[in-house]
Amino acid sequence: MSYDEYIGKPMSAHTIHVERGSVSRFADACTDKNPIYHNLKAAKVAGFDAPPLPPTWTFASAFLGAYPEDQPADPTGGKGNPMMGIMSGLMKNGGMVLHGEQEFIYHQPAQCGDLLHSEGKITNVYTKESGGKLMTFVVMETVFKNAAGEPVVTEIFNLIHRGK
Amino acid sequence: MINPVRKLSFDKISAGDEAPVVSHLLTRTDLVKYAGASGDFNPMHSDEAAAKAAGLPSVFGHGMFSMGFLGRAITDWAGPGNLLNYRVRFTKQTWPGETLTSKIVVTGKEVTKEGKVISADVSLVNEKGEAKLSGSTKVLAA
Repeated sequence: MSYDEYIGKPMSAHTIHVERGSVSRFADACTDKNPIYHNLKAAKVAGFDAPPLPPTWTFASAFLGAYPEDQPADPTGGKGNPMMGIMSGLMKNGGMVLHGEQEFIYHQPAQCGDLLHSEGKITNVYTKESGGKLMTFVVMETVFKNAAGEPVVTEIFNLIHRGK
Repeated sequence: MINPVRKLSFDKISAGDEAPVVSHLLTRTDLVKYAGASGDFNPMHSDEAAAKAAGLPSVFGHGMFSMGFLGRAITDWAGPGNLLNYRVRFTKQTWPGETLTSKIVVTGKEVTKEGKVISADVSLVNEKGEAKLSGSTKVLAA
């Protein structure tokens, strides 16, 4: 099956508020007790105006900091995330969805109080045989920009469906 | 104005140096906390009955918890706000009761347009030495 039509398709767009509550709770859930994430004074001593983002915070940020009143238009035009379409189609015949690889490229630091704008798209879909099983890889890229329109973080997310 | 304190000294670091090790005994409470703090409510991570019904021995850890925990080991070493790149491959699932230990080994250093950059290989292993994830990072030094 060819997935070429999916390559380049937008998946999602969000406006994200970076707030102390979600940063502190997220850092804590990663076992990170560094006071920089929890105590404003410690953040200032470390060179920030407010607690900064833990390295993987943006991955959860659509859940943590997006509110309905200031979201951008749905770039899928209401069709939904095309990655979900690929994966749910494959899962009809069973198998398993696995997180294969994850990369974060940090362009500049961000901190609580910042407003980020994210846009995600599918950049590649390919298949491989492994141990007699068909593996389908979906590669996605999400870019987070700050209020000045400058990139802050780029995430590259490689999700795998392993057939039965 | 953000001006993160650089914890690492470029001149004092060389290839083969290792960052301080961080270890953690993974519990079901960690899985529940990470689910709540990240919004990843896949029942394979938080619902023991559902995980067993799917043929698994128990719930297993979120890959992104492992990446977050290893990220903590990197920022403990280099300081928050000093990362340029962090990438991993998820190689094995993590299970409650395992002790996860970070390993960060410097592979090189160079001065680029971004500053004084240290490169390292990173991994997270259990007590048997099985890698749960492995990858690399680039961080800024003073």
